[in-house]
Amino acid sequence: MTELYQALAQGLLIGATYGLLALGMGLVYGVSGVVNFSHGDFISLGMFMCLALYSAFAMDPYVSIIITVPLMIAIGALVYIFLIRPMVGHQFLMVVQLTLGLSLVLQNGILMVFGGEPARTPSFVESKLIILGDVVLRVPHIVAFVVSFALAIGLYIMLRSTDFGRSIRAVHQNAHAAALMGINVGRVQVLTFALGIGILALAAALLLPGTPIQPTQGLRYTVITLLVVVLGGMTNFVGIMLGGLIIGIAEAFGTIYLDGPIGLLLPYIIFVAIMLFLPKGLTWSSAR
Amino acid sequence: MRDEFYKTLASPIWWGALVIAAIMPFVLSSYYVHILTLALVYVALASSWNIVGGMAGQISLAHSLFIGIGSMFSAALLLKLGINMWLGLVISAVISGILGAVIAWIDFRFQLGHLSFVLITLAFAEMGSIVVEGWDFLGGASGLLLPKDTGNFLAFQFGGGHGAFWMMLALAAICVLVNVAILNSPLGYYLRTIRDNEKAAQAIGVNILRYKITAMVISAMLASVVGTAYVRYLTFADPYLLISPVITIEIVLFATVGGLGRAYGPALGALLLVPLGEILRGKLGSTLPGLHYFIYGIVVISVILVTPRGLLPLFERLWARWRGPAVAGKP
Amino acid sequence: MLEIDNLVAGYGGVPVLRDINAKMAAGEIVGLLGANNAGKTTLINALSGMVKPISGRILFLGEDISKLTPQARVELGIVQVPEGRLVFPEMSIRENLLLGGINAHARKHRPQQMEKVIGLFPRLGERLTQSAGSLSGGEQQMLAIGRGLMAEAKLLMLDEPSLGLSPLFVQYIFEIIDKLHADGLTILLVEQNLNLTLRHAKRCYVLERGQVAVEGDAETVKNDPRTRSAYLGL
Repeated sequence: MTELYQALAQGLLIGATYGLLALGMGLVYGVSGVVNFSHGDFISLGMFMCLALYSAFAMDPYVSIIITVPLMIAIGALVYIFLIRPMVGHQFLMVVQLTLGLSLVLQNGILMVFGGEPARTPSFVESKLIILGDVVLRVPHIVAFVVSFALAIGLYIMLRSTDFGRSIRAVHQNAHAAALMGINVGRVQVLTFALGIGILALAAALLLPGTPIQPTQGLRYTVITLLVVVLGGMTNFVGIMLGGLIIGIAEAFGTIYLDGPIGLLLPYIIFVAIMLFLPKGLTWSSAR
Repeated sequence: MRDEFYKTLASPIWWGALVIAAIMPFVLSSYYVHILTLALVYVALASSWNIVGGMAGQISLAHSLFIGIGSMFSAALLLKLGINMWLGLVISAVISGILGAVIAWIDFRFQLGHLSFVLITLAFAEMGSIVVEGWDFLGGASGLLLPKDTGNFLAFQFGGGHGAFWMMLALAAICVLVNVAILNSPLGYYLRTIRDNEKAAQAIGVNILRYKITAMVISAMLASVVGTAYVRYLTFADPYLLISPVITIEIVLFATVGGLGRAYGPALGALLLVPLGEILRGKLGSTLPGLHYFIYGIVVISVILVTPRGLLPLFERLWARWRGPAVAGKP
Repeated sequence: MLEIDNLVAGYGGVPVLRDINAKMAAGEIVGLLGANNAGKTTLINALSGMVKPISGRILFLGEDISKLTPQARVELGIVQVPEGRLVFPEMSIRENLLLGGINAHARKHRPQQMEKVIGLFPRLGERLTQSAGSLSGGEQQMLAIGRGLMAEAKLLMLDEPSLGLSPLFVQYIFEIIDKLHADGLTILLVEQNLNLTLRHAKRCYVLERGQVAVEGDAETVKNDPRTRSAYLGL
């Protein structure tokens, strides 16, 4: 039983952050129809920025976000304006190759600067544990869970009840009609992409404490995010958060209960199984 | 439509180019022969990928699976079960073809729109690398070492160096020819129709699933065969190279740089970028690891932004402009 | 109020509209008629800034607006209620109305404007939290017009407001249009329904293959044989 609770708790905690990663991708897809295959490499970039700030100023990752988030938002805006926007509208699938190319650039740019050895960025909470009965929880995971959910709820409220949030949803539902309302569709797309990258900077800091990082990890984060986004029906907010939890739990169960490759494969197997029965993902949107 | 294919087969330029390429090992140093051999591997892989990715517009990221099966599995069959590598090549190709059909079918079943294929195939590629790295039969994370290549043709050995070059040249030529053949066949026509407008293709009664599966099976089997030849050349079956999704990304980027959906586009991309990357790696690999990938990334982004259809159409335009005045100058 | 000077416009540099000349005075209700593909929607999209002009000018309140972005034009009060209504289906009526008034100019007066719109369409006021996708076609048309009014329109362009509606709803929508006109709003009415438009619009333009074929007051347009031929595409 203890193992079960342990796996559930661990999966839920990490799953919330996966959900957050996927929300960024889902928002961008909803507004611009773009899937960013360098998503995971931007997470890497966020993590290595934290590492650099730690090496230079002994800055804790949780403090580094003051610098990394605005920086990544700016990078996101520039990437969208100069690389992705010229592709939107025509040559749509070329965005796939473009972001794959960007992934190689980011991954190997990081490799050339930081080298290929796995690195760690310590944090003051890194080794702290909370013990609930027989279940042992790492404090960084709890912080990640709480912050991820708080951010997700914040995003949800932003989308529901601010003009910017409503603009995002309007562009998603009908970009032409949104433009007729006087919404600057191009600006909404840039800001959403920048916001999505900014979220990654935050998520990077949340995932970092206690996790060894290396430049080649980006693709694996991209794939996890893709699983969650597809599972969540691409743009369904609640579906994506739920998808994050499912993938997180599947991963925890896989590593705790099963040995070797089958354990690592469990999230994929769960993913394929769910998709075979629910091809549109975990959506139950009332309208449409 | 088939005329074009027979014209290519009868073309003196084609055979001339092949003959010139075939005498390269006598002209160049072994280092450059090695680089050209690698370039030919990627010509063959990018061309086989082009059938699905270029002609049908289905950006498959699953090709590392087929390359991985062709290389790791046939190597494992030889080392663990003593199965002749020629037979291993066939078994691997059949398995790759079946797997390709399954992936194409699953994609069809999901019906998530255009991007879904990319997402699903990437998930499959990632699964494949996890399986190989964790499965001792396939060498696990440490890989497999093939016996020395003594040139025994019956054991799928080509004597290293020159022999491997000619083997790869033949494979690359076959893959490019298959491209020419498909492009000029009804299959190629249907694949383009699916790429340009899947809904319209369905409306006029094109059996989309059948053609998607056909393209995927041909592409997967070719990639698998090239994988077997590649691992024989490398001697060491390295899972981090052969079953990593990165090898697919490289192929996709070469094809994109050269020209998607064109018979010679992917070959052009690989012939330009692989030697560039290899020479950079040879010169700066120890001080700046990853530089060649970095350059690939920069090149592909620049090409997509400047000439989204790739370099081949751009070269054709330049060639036409260069010849234009000469033709006009004639009385 | 609105003046179109030798306007040429189209998609991807291919002209759909050729040498359009037209005028509208403040408070006028003008009909824009024509068969399918005559260029009616392209013309109002050119006025909205969704289609870029190739040559010619559009003057609004004496200012050349032909280079302005769609959002700048909405801020000036040039508001389109698009064909097919295009409400945001996964949002509530209230959210749709709020989005109507999202431009920088109208944003300040949204609460007052919302009250006016609800006064005009009590049916919308009764179900502010209902999702727009679940409304009937007629209700969606009310919402689309209400959303347009939220933008504090000075010139309201209605694209095929009667499309796909029951006769009862058509009558209701046109009563609303008359009421808005009586309150002094300038209205450009794009319609395929000839007789309906001629009954409500004082003046009309008839488009045929991207050009103005007939113009004048309702009576003139009605009796001009070219109107009929423009419709039949002869």
